Amino acid sequence: MPYSDSDEHQAGNPVSADTVAAPAAVKILIAGGFGVGKTTMVGSVSEIPPLHTEEQLTVAGLGVDDLDGVENKTTTTVALDFGRITVSSRLVLYLFGTPGQERFWFMWNDLVHGALGAVVLVDTRRLESSFAAIDFFESRGVPFVVGVNCFDGVRDRTVPEVRDALDLDPNVPVLMGDLRERPASRDLLLALINHLMAGRAPLPTRR
Amino acid sequence: MSHWADAAADDEDAEESLVRAYTITQGRTASARDDLTLITVITTAAAPRDQHADRGLQPEHRLILRQCRTPVALAEVAARLNLPVAVTKILVDDLIVRGRVTARPPLAVTVGEEPDMILLQAVKDALLRL
Repeated sequence: MPYSDSDEHQAGNPVSADTVAAPAAVKILIAGGFGVGKTTMVGSVSEIPPLHTEEQLTVAGLGVDDLDGVENKTTTTVALDFGRITVSSRLVLYLFGTPGQERFWFMWNDLVHGALGAVVLVDTRRLESSFAAIDFFESRGVPFVVGVNCFDGVRDRTVPEVRDALDLDPNVPVLMGDLRERPASRDLLLALINHLMAGRAPLPTRR
Repeated sequence: MSHWADAAADDEDAEESLVRAYTITQGRTASARDDLTLITVITTAAAPRDQHADRGLQPEHRLILRQCRTPVALAEVAARLNLPVAVTKILVDDLIVRGRVTARPPLAVTVGEEPDMILLQAVKDALLRL
């Protein structure tokens, strides 16, 4: 199925003329600890100013009280910032900044569903705040790249140092950049897409 | 019976409260369907011939209809209406049931399949244009 507008003439005409064909949407998650620059990154590449909403997510119970077979679930509310990049009239990419703290692990299950992959942002002064996100994406087989946000170009760690400290698989791309700048954020997304296209990313498991 | 919309417009606290959100949904806290996602694309359908077809719609329903004349993801509808996603899902569901909007589910890009190279290339081209 073509997604570029330039492919239009090849596509035949599966949609009746009086219907406006809605584009399909895909998403990429931008994860990382509080204050690491998720919304900054979304804002630097989005074609709209970052939007904010609240999603109510299901928290699965721990199973202790499940003897009667009734699922023990509660919900909680999580704030999301997101932006949009229109790929073509047929495809729109949404970028969701997601809370990276460990206490939100449950929500990632909902959020990774239908995601192309993820960008994990890290702050070299607080690397540990990104451990939970990395662990989660690794365990779920969600392809991801790591971005080291260098405000004002301050690079106090090298890429090998960060890779080492995070104990990353050698295939996981790590980039450094000032994510307030569009090219740095764009390159991080491109690294993810290239990572996916190279097929080195493990395929996520079916839910 | 007084309608919530009759409340004083300058009552900011009332605007922010959950009571108002769940008044809009007439007490419902969950959508009847669970297939609406943050990136389900909502599009307003052609206007019904029957002028009375939209009777009973809340102002928020009408705002959604106006907003989705250009297809837009559910998360964006929620953000622009300043309503929680859960409430927005209920309202969108109402409009789907009435045939006033259509919903396009997200592409199944990650569900145990080979990466879709055509899709990835299209995304890559778009990023290179930024």
